[in-house]
Amino acid sequence: MKISVKWLGDYVALPASVDELARKLTAAGLEIEGLERPGEGLRGVVVAQIKESVQHPNADKLSVTKVDAGGPALLQVVCGAKNFKVGDKVPLATVGTKLPNGAEIKQAALRGVDSFGMLCSAKELALTEDSSGLLILSPEAKPGAPVAEALGLDDVVLEVNVTPNRPDALSHLGVAREVGVVTGAAFRPPEPKPAEQGGSAADKVKVRIDDPARCPRYAARLIENVTIQPSPQWMQDRLKACGVRAINNVVDVTNYVNLEYGQPLHAFDLEKLAGREIVVRCAKQGEKIRTLDGKDRVLDADDLAICDRDRPQAIAGVMGGGDSEVAEGTKHIVLESANFQPSSVRRTSKRHGLHTEASHRFERGADIDAVGGAIDRAAQLIAELSGGTVLTGRVDVYPGQKPPRRVALRYARVEKFLGTSVPEAECRRILQALGFRAAEEGAGETTFEVPRARVDVEREEDLMEEIARVHGYDNIPARLPRGIAELAPEPVQAEAERRLRQALCGAGLNEVVNYSFVAPRSLEVLGGKEAPVALVNPLSVEQSVMRTSLLPGLLENLSRSVRHQVERVALYETGRAYFRDPEGGQGRHPAAREVHRVAGLVWGLRSGRTWTQKDARMDFYDAKGAVEALLHLLHVEGVRFTPAEAPAWHPRACAQVLLADGRALGYVGELHPRITKALELPQGVFAFELDTEPLYAAAHLVPEYHSLPRFPAVLRDLAVVVPVELRNEEVRRVILEVGGALVEDALIFDVYTGKPIPEGKKNLAYAIRYRSPERTLTDAEVSQAHQRIISEVNQRLGGALRA
Amino acid sequence: MRDRLQALAEAARRDITVASEVAAVETLRVRYLGKKGELSGVLGGMGKLPPEERKALGEVANQVKAEIEELLAEALQRAEGAALEAELKGPRLDVTLPGRAVAPGSRHPVSRTMEEIVRTFARLGFEVEVGPEIELDYFNFEALNLPKDHPARDMQDTFYVDEATLGHAKKADSPVLLRTHTSPVQVRHMLGRKPPIRAVMPGRVYRRDSDITHTPMFHQVEGLLVDKDVSFAELKGSLDAFVKAFFGSDTRTRFRPSFFPFTEPSAEVDISCTSCGGKGCRVCKQTGWLEVLGSGMVHPNVFTSSGYDPNEVTGYAFGMGVERIAMLRYRIDDLRMMFENDARFLEQF
Repeated sequence: MKISVKWLGDYVALPASVDELARKLTAAGLEIEGLERPGEGLRGVVVAQIKESVQHPNADKLSVTKVDAGGPALLQVVCGAKNFKVGDKVPLATVGTKLPNGAEIKQAALRGVDSFGMLCSAKELALTEDSSGLLILSPEAKPGAPVAEALGLDDVVLEVNVTPNRPDALSHLGVAREVGVVTGAAFRPPEPKPAEQGGSAADKVKVRIDDPARCPRYAARLIENVTIQPSPQWMQDRLKACGVRAINNVVDVTNYVNLEYGQPLHAFDLEKLAGREIVVRCAKQGEKIRTLDGKDRVLDADDLAICDRDRPQAIAGVMGGGDSEVAEGTKHIVLESANFQPSSVRRTSKRHGLHTEASHRFERGADIDAVGGAIDRAAQLIAELSGGTVLTGRVDVYPGQKPPRRVALRYARVEKFLGTSVPEAECRRILQALGFRAAEEGAGETTFEVPRARVDVEREEDLMEEIARVHGYDNIPARLPRGIAELAPEPVQAEAERRLRQALCGAGLNEVVNYSFVAPRSLEVLGGKEAPVALVNPLSVEQSVMRTSLLPGLLENLSRSVRHQVERVALYETGRAYFRDPEGGQGRHPAAREVHRVAGLVWGLRSGRTWTQKDARMDFYDAKGAVEALLHLLHVEGVRFTPAEAPAWHPRACAQVLLADGRALGYVGELHPRITKALELPQGVFAFELDTEPLYAAAHLVPEYHSLPRFPAVLRDLAVVVPVELRNEEVRRVILEVGGALVEDALIFDVYTGKPIPEGKKNLAYAIRYRSPERTLTDAEVSQAHQRIISEVNQRLGGALRA
Repeated sequence: MRDRLQALAEAARRDITVASEVAAVETLRVRYLGKKGELSGVLGGMGKLPPEERKALGEVANQVKAEIEELLAEALQRAEGAALEAELKGPRLDVTLPGRAVAPGSRHPVSRTMEEIVRTFARLGFEVEVGPEIELDYFNFEALNLPKDHPARDMQDTFYVDEATLGHAKKADSPVLLRTHTSPVQVRHMLGRKPPIRAVMPGRVYRRDSDITHTPMFHQVEGLLVDKDVSFAELKGSLDAFVKAFFGSDTRTRFRPSFFPFTEPSAEVDISCTSCGGKGCRVCKQTGWLEVLGSGMVHPNVFTSSGYDPNEVTGYAFGMGVERIAMLRYRIDDLRMMFENDARFLEQF
């Protein structure tokens, strides 16, 4: 909300500087987000009256003027404009002034004639784009006065960030009260007393409230014989400073009083109100109104309307209607000052997409006690500015009157809650300055009556907040919480996730964070069967469904990197995938099933393009290696990789990852060529995606130490030629089974096809480590076991010892 | 025989003193002292000699052998020295070539910052809690003192979820949405246990907003401490301690009154600018301060929603945007970089 500092000064003495004012208000919770000083660029520019003007002796286009700039003598100024006459008042930039465009005014001789300053156009003062001639000021301007003053720009406008709980501060009076509270200066609100004449207003207009819940109070005044004309400059200046456009004297007064009291007002043309009556009721479904913005609107049965005998004339608390608008020719007006239920106004405002100065205040909660003061103030101003007559009496229908709220404050609790002692007298001073009234005294406590403007204050904590913010957050000490009674053990997941990240970073994968919502197509292309959870109001179709896989994000990242000629892409993400849940949304049960996942992707050169490793490309085993790295750091044992086929994966290169107990974690493999083709990605993309919850559950974050072997191992190599389809794991299983207790491990160290190995066969080479935990093995024992393994492998797997 | 020994010694002396390479020395050792070497050859005939002569000759042979061994040892040392000398003088490696690539991966700045925030609070005894991202209106708003038609709901533009796509057997208790903040986790956490409570709640949050300074998804870390007689002074102390631990011990904090529906009183926490130290610069828009945290005393209505009696306990809560803190920490000037995941961006962390 924009607040004019000059205007504030009408009601309260201000601190010496605007900066201090801004600091104090911010410290008390009315954050000053910005300061506008519209007259700032006009320093040094004063009002000058042209007393004399003659043709320049040496230049056709120039005049030599003598101006009165308030000083003892007239100043001689050379001027190029022609649009003025002697006696006009115009802006003079005095010598030494720096104009907004950066030009500095110097005393100079122009074609041999001395000039002591420069007469300015509106453009030169950066006011408008008008550079056609001098800016002619009002005849009332005083020579020598700063031009900013003459233009009503000698003000500072505060941009106040009023939080939604403080509608009381959406007005100059509200802010002025706060100023008084924080500075201790007296707050002097206006006391309007319109001069009433003629008959009783109640005889000429009827007011009826059909829905007192939505409209607890409605006041009206009648003003007859107004003359519609522009409002005076001072009022226009103030409205402009607050960002409100001037319209005419009546409308301007309603806006002015709204900015002053925070009470939205509306003026109807009495003669346009059928039956000369006002009925506050809910609209009939489908009733129509043309609002002041010129739009035709169809009302809902939930919209509160201000109607005449026949039809709606305004949408209550939101916007008036065009038909009864005050315009040129209006003679008698009905002034409305009312209070509406916040939730009703908010629903209507949202329904019609109409956010107005009025709805903004009503939906937050306007001060029901301001209804009377504001309408009196407006009536008085309209009478003054329009020559109208205020009829006797306020028609004030107030069915929703309630006693003010009362809240007790226990002084001992203030200290406990804030952690510092604020003396009782200071608590009282603060609350009373804010308009709270001590209604009842008890032992160590006072019950305060809450001003109706303070819709946010309902309980003791709210009173303590008032005390804290005025006393100053800076004056509350900072203390660490008391000691910790016990330490909860860290959840397994936290450490497991740290290790998982460590493993994947160690495997050379960069971590990414992608959006949780994706394009439906990006999931369809992966061949997912389950329909994703969709958003009602996505920003775009690209972000319209919740991901059921982390892969689309990674593929998008890959695509981006490929476009940027990155030669090695290795990424991973941890995050959730989202699925439907039939039991969801009841009680504390989450609405959807959110599954924690880790996914990774590798593509391109294994180590970039380096001189030590020539252009080797990453493959299935890089992706699998990353998975093995995380299994290793998590000490998950007995995981199996079994050949699998799944829609997203290349049938030739895909393994399902299974825990020792058979539970599936996910897949690792090459992305199906159909997918990479559809996404216009290069071939050879290898990826994995695993559920992390079962993985973390199977992790051994505190591994158990096994004592080191006491006896030496004997290493024997085994090379066998087997059919190409035969998998390493099958050969290894036979080796370990046949070797029994003597074989500690069998590591594959070579896989070879090609000459001299026959077609359809491959050579596998294993390093078999023989060891007994009880004794040193003899050469004969090892040879015997080795022989047995060779013959069993050959016999069972159709292998042959490589010659 | 004695002459032959002397001749042998003479020849050995001559040969060995000129041997300059390790291999040549080894060849000479075999030639003179090997099993089939010359010394053995000479001594082979000794068996036929009478004992006295044999003894005297044996002494000579031992002397010759000892001399040759010594010569060989010297020659070997010389040759090795020369070899080392030559090795040291050999061609130098190109030490300017890049090292063999090991390319460890990087951590994303957001996840890394979030982990560091959580770790800092762990030092103050805060445990970690998480909650659902697809949330009910009740937990996201109502339980947090944000009833329907409350204007404060405008502060957070919400994504709603199409319940038809959730497969619910029974209509959910309240509308389903993407949580707009991590605060609902507060309520879920409290519902599950008794005070005292110290927890931080990191996670993804969503708001329907996208421009140069807003992304529709971002991260928050929420914090909650509940106990008997927790005061505003402790809120100040805890957050001040966090800021100093996280941003550096000379960082100052400033608490400003503000409004959040779920806290009362509420405070915005500013820190002295991490870029200029508070003198005023472009980063802090010349104010010297940066707004990094929202906080306040837990609102009594939130305690009621969580099954706690507001007369029995008090507490404080706070929340911070992780991206904002990460941007300050790593001096990233464009929020959108965070979710583009450009390889050239990621590799910098």
